[in-house]
Amino acid sequence: MRDAIRNSFRSLKLVLVLFALSCGLVERAAADDWSGPAQQLARKIAAVTGPGAVAVTVGNRSSLAKKDVDAISGVLRADLEELGVRSAKPEQAAALMVLSLSQNPRFFVWVAEIHLGGSESAVVMVSVPRGDEVGFARESMPVSLRKIPLWSQQDRILDVVVIEQDSEPRHIAVLDGEKVAIYRLRNGKWQQEQNLGITHARPWPRDLRGRVVGAKDHLLDVYLPGVFCRSTTSLPLTLNCHESDDPWPLVTAGVESLPPFGGSPVQPLGAFYSASRNFFTGALTPGVGKLTTVGKFYSAAPLPRERYLLWLFAGTDGQVHLVDGVTDRAAKLGWGSDVASVKTGCGSGWQVLATDAGENGFENGADSVRAYEITDRDPVPVSAALDFAGHITALWAEAKDDSAIAIVRNRETGEYEAFRVAVGCSQ
Amino acid sequence: MKHFGWRWVAASSLFLIAILIRTGAAETRPQYGGTVRIAIREAPESLDPVDATQADSVARRNLLALIFETLVTVDERGRIHPELAVEWQVAPGNQRWQFRVRRSVKFHDGSALTAEIAASSLRTANPSWKVFAEGDAVIVECDHGDADLPAELALPRNSIVRRNGGGKLIGTGPFRIDDWQAGKRLTLSVEENHWHGRAFVDMIEVEMGRNYQEQLVELKLGTADLVEVAPEQGHRVAMEGRRVITSQPMELVALAFGSDAQTADEKLLRSSLAHSVERTSMRSVLLQGTGQATASVLPNWMGGYGFAFSTDADLKLARREREQVRTTANWTVGYDANDSLARVLVERVALNAKDAGIVLRPTAGTAPLQSDLPRLDIPGPDLPRLDLRLVRIPLASTDPWVALASVAGALGMAMPRLNGDSAEDLYAAERVLLAEQRVIPLFHLPAEWASSPAVKDWRPASDGSWRLDEVWMGREEQ
Repeated sequence: MRDAIRNSFRSLKLVLVLFALSCGLVERAAADDWSGPAQQLARKIAAVTGPGAVAVTVGNRSSLAKKDVDAISGVLRADLEELGVRSAKPEQAAALMVLSLSQNPRFFVWVAEIHLGGSESAVVMVSVPRGDEVGFARESMPVSLRKIPLWSQQDRILDVVVIEQDSEPRHIAVLDGEKVAIYRLRNGKWQQEQNLGITHARPWPRDLRGRVVGAKDHLLDVYLPGVFCRSTTSLPLTLNCHESDDPWPLVTAGVESLPPFGGSPVQPLGAFYSASRNFFTGALTPGVGKLTTVGKFYSAAPLPRERYLLWLFAGTDGQVHLVDGVTDRAAKLGWGSDVASVKTGCGSGWQVLATDAGENGFENGADSVRAYEITDRDPVPVSAALDFAGHITALWAEAKDDSAIAIVRNRETGEYEAFRVAVGCSQ
Repeated sequence: MKHFGWRWVAASSLFLIAILIRTGAAETRPQYGGTVRIAIREAPESLDPVDATQADSVARRNLLALIFETLVTVDERGRIHPELAVEWQVAPGNQRWQFRVRRSVKFHDGSALTAEIAASSLRTANPSWKVFAEGDAVIVECDHGDADLPAELALPRNSIVRRNGGGKLIGTGPFRIDDWQAGKRLTLSVEENHWHGRAFVDMIEVEMGRNYQEQLVELKLGTADLVEVAPEQGHRVAMEGRRVITSQPMELVALAFGSDAQTADEKLLRSSLAHSVERTSMRSVLLQGTGQATASVLPNWMGGYGFAFSTDADLKLARREREQVRTTANWTVGYDANDSLARVLVERVALNAKDAGIVLRPTAGTAPLQSDLPRLDIPGPDLPRLDLRLVRIPLASTDPWVALASVAGALGMAMPRLNGDSAEDLYAAERVLLAEQRVIPLFHLPAEWASSPAVKDWRPASDGSWRLDEVWMGREEQ
């Protein structure tokens, strides 16, 4: 078991290192991109000042990092030198130039205010299209949660399934409201293999949710409000969608990983999802023990106990319902709407991941995920909060049950980002 | 398998308490149902998007956006997104635009949206445009290349409206009109079959014509969920523990002259007035630090170069300019009598002007400001003849070109035409406008609101758009 965990940690580290390296390359590439606009601005400045000594002051009014500001400043000074405009102290300069690195929503705007003596002054500027910023994972203790970026896009991501992986995901399917897009990792880059369109007659609910699940005899099943889609078994791959009230699986392919109770294996549990809202209706199939209905809920997570399977339902009433097959105990835990359970080698072997308002607070639009154990009646946090850069719009357990998929809407970029939330033992 | 020890669990329990104290509210999925009660200062007499007699305001735009929709929208970064049009194409030269209309969109009366109806609606809003339907597409042909046409189509006046025989206006938006008492009260109910999915709340009730003080009282009494906050009051309201949301600065406060300066002396006097204004101290004291002092038409966040226009007062220069003119400078400056902020700003500007040797006589009036702007030199029934006015102009769009054109239009000025669309071109266009000395920009102000804790997931866009279709009310019956 420990070897397996160690191996999975090595894999995670490798992914994070590769990710960090790729980010470094992106930054380097971005720095190289400054040379064009810097040259352009240098020409405009030189056209105003002519050759000679200029005192240059650089100020940053943008979201550029200091190293970018330094890089731009360096490239610009070099370009100015080539044009005969050399930097000098103010008392030795024929002109003063204040360079402000500013921005508007679409461009970096570099503005040079040039004072030539007396009241003569001029303003020249260039604009450079803005790119997108990237966030990094943060370490947490004592059970550690890590987020591994999988995919991001402008359209709302509903779910991601990893179709194939070795040390890291190599083949993924990304579900949004209109399609399942399949990507393969080639030479460190995700390349799109195929788009499988989803057909639906009725408009989707606003808080659209959906699941994409790997299947045994075909590639994928897709569950959406009032719609079910199944991929074909032969090539070319397509999705066959039809209106359906069939239940969604609450545990996907991982039922076999749950320990048998009373000598019989755990039956997969399905729940009916409202076609026009954002919650499960509460009707279960085949049910939890004697209970075939619970209150309306947003998400559910199983937790194996010694003699039974405890189900946690995040209800639409704001409470978490702990259902053991006989009783339904409601608790106000202050959790969010999304829960998922993960099988780990830590603690009792299973933890619940639950969303809540993160460090930055609900109103600021940043959520977090935290792992909990339910040792007796009440949940005990067993990890620090894993913060995300926006609201978590989905949290689903992965098929292997040892990790979860979190979808986040980045509050800065507005993009949807899919992460694998991996759990590791740090004690 | 290693089990957790009791010490570890005990420590974690303390950790849990700390977490519960820290976070307070947990994230939850949106819930359906409930009513959002809103109070606003504006009191529009009409909900017709093309009614030019109604003063433009962030509040009016937001009301219209609940009922009507446009072919495309502009986001906070100025990017165009599909709304009632799913895609668009433009012919080389940006003169012929084709917008394919979304299928399965229904008006609130159940009738289907067609390209013909959309084209007709746009023709009503823009009589000079050549707009027609071609299959499922709306074609717009411009006299000259217009790269900003999509951003212009996102303006509220270009909302797609179906006008039935009785003059009733019907939209496709997430809410439909239940009850409309002009200038007083608007009740909206959710459109169950909206093409983008049903909004979460069932109803929206809007009380109009409430001043800032009345609105705050209603919020405190729990009779309103969402109210406007005066820009200069934002800090105080937040200090009282209210949730205050602030947009990007989207309103230009400026002194506007009714006509071009006719003589060199008049130009010098206007320049003198502009140099005399102490924007920084006015912002600190009168605006309580809210907004931004500005000498540019567009705020810095939108153009990226606003700081290049100096906002520093230069009294020496102002006096020097004044002294070059032998005639007297005795101007009447108007302001909206219902706007207490306008009054104190004008009074302070008059003091600054006096230091420079210019006499400004503040005069309050009740005529709507925006609709009067182009006719400033023609006194209305309530206003004496004015030389200049303090105006508050909401910027029409996050697209800087459209925003600049809208300000120029509100001031009765022609928008300079330039070939490029870079920041430098925008800067050049703004320089041309300011060189006419028709306007002296003073401040850019944000819109501010306070909301009750029951209002969830309320994230207005940085341009001040409410986005109430994404809002839900906490703990309501589903």
